[in-house]
Amino acid sequence: MTAVLHAEWIKLRSLRSTYLTMLCAIALGTGLGFLDTISIAHHWATMSAADRAAFDPVGDSFTGLVFAQLAFGLLGVLAISSEYGTGMIRSTLTAIPRRGAVFTAKALVVGAVALVLGEVFAFGTFLLGQATLATAHLDVALTSPGVLRAVSSAGLYLGVVALVGCGVGALLRHTAGGIAVMFGVIFLAWPVARALESWSYLPDKLVLSNAADVLGQVHALAVKPRLPSLGLAYLDLLLYLVVALGLGAWRSNRDF
Amino acid sequence: MLMIEAQELTKRYGSTVAIDRLSFQVRPGRVTGLLGPNGAGKSTTIRMVLGLDTPTRGRALVGGRPYRSLPHPLRDVGALLDAAAVHGGMRAVQHLSWLAASNKLPRARVGEVLGLTGLDAAAGRRIRGFSLGMRQRLGIAAALLGDPPILIFDEPVNGLDPEGIAWIRGLIQALAAEGRTILVSSHLMSEMALTADHLLIIGQGRLLADAGIHELVGPAEGATLEDAYFRLTRDAVEYRGTEVNR
Repeated sequence: MTAVLHAEWIKLRSLRSTYLTMLCAIALGTGLGFLDTISIAHHWATMSAADRAAFDPVGDSFTGLVFAQLAFGLLGVLAISSEYGTGMIRSTLTAIPRRGAVFTAKALVVGAVALVLGEVFAFGTFLLGQATLATAHLDVALTSPGVLRAVSSAGLYLGVVALVGCGVGALLRHTAGGIAVMFGVIFLAWPVARALESWSYLPDKLVLSNAADVLGQVHALAVKPRLPSLGLAYLDLLLYLVVALGLGAWRSNRDF
Repeated sequence: MLMIEAQELTKRYGSTVAIDRLSFQVRPGRVTGLLGPNGAGKSTTIRMVLGLDTPTRGRALVGGRPYRSLPHPLRDVGALLDAAAVHGGMRAVQHLSWLAASNKLPRARVGEVLGLTGLDAAAGRRIRGFSLGMRQRLGIAAALLGDPPILIFDEPVNGLDPEGIAWIRGLIQALAAEGRTILVSSHLMSEMALTADHLLIIGQGRLLADAGIHELVGPAEGATLEDAYFRLTRDAVEYRGTEVNR
């Protein structure tokens, strides 16, 4: 298994798309959060009471997470779909005929890289945001209650999204299709769940981006009945992981 | 014995029978050609030998074992698949490096096979910019990486210039002379006549001939492999144009 992991690590490292997607994620994600915190720090004196109540020193520095997560999902999708798109999968499976091992190694390598970069992104974005908010004395420290949990969970969330991308990529074996599904999971599930609210809040509670919101904040959670609880948000991550990786593993063992 | 072996190998796609109870043995020390018209099942057969496709019935063995059970297959079997089994965004040396890592082959082999196939100068270039001939050379470098006793070449001369074709012919024959087991698929008659010692001819998924090349062509003056091939595959060709009368 170490040999397979080593091979997958070389592959991921060799591709320009890896660097491009991660660069986009970090530039967009950090940049937007930065702009948002600048705006808040600048306008705090004139903001309404409602806006002030909605302010979350951690959550508001993660505004760019919305875009970063799509790039992380894309990293996962591409890691697998590009092998089928280019035909490299035939080389891969002649070198490593154990298909389960190939999928497992890919998921482990992509998951580990995404988790590390996700945490770097989360802590970097958080620190940048706090430095900006500090100009209006609105910042919090990592040691404040819930802050370390929220920041590290935002990084964890990005790792999970990349792994969901792996599962989707393995299931569809097609880059454009995989991106479309990730777009749906990340962005389009939310309005669908909103539309179903008159019947039930359950779909809201199962939407991945709602779980991300809850995980990446420190307060004002209980106010909205449609959001999942903190425990359920972690369970959501697990649920998406199991379903996506399960489907990906199942499809990986089938001929192409 | 380091043989490639098919035992009652059968592959169905829905109601279409691609390979129909195909049995053969490919022996070491000579070049065995796999010949047949388009759609005869050459590539499907090779894919099943390499574990890329699962047979509907029967089995394929390499060195007495199913390919998928080999712990480090690149050390036992080298395969040149079609030239597109690479990621264009990778550099040649990166492609060979991950292959070497996957089978715990020494890193030095990468440089050796790049030299052997004349790709030293292109080692650091992205494969996307390679000509078809260079891609074929890279595929051959990948096949030789594990210094395997069994080698399979699927349409190796596709896209090669005359110099490349002569080079690959010499390489294949030299590998056979070292006692390796060589299976080469092609639909180019003239190339097969020059390269192969033994031929497997298939048509519509069935074995039509399994014989030495001299045996097939026959002793008659002016007899060619092409004549013998057309005689054998007469009823097994799927697509045929009408004859042109001049």
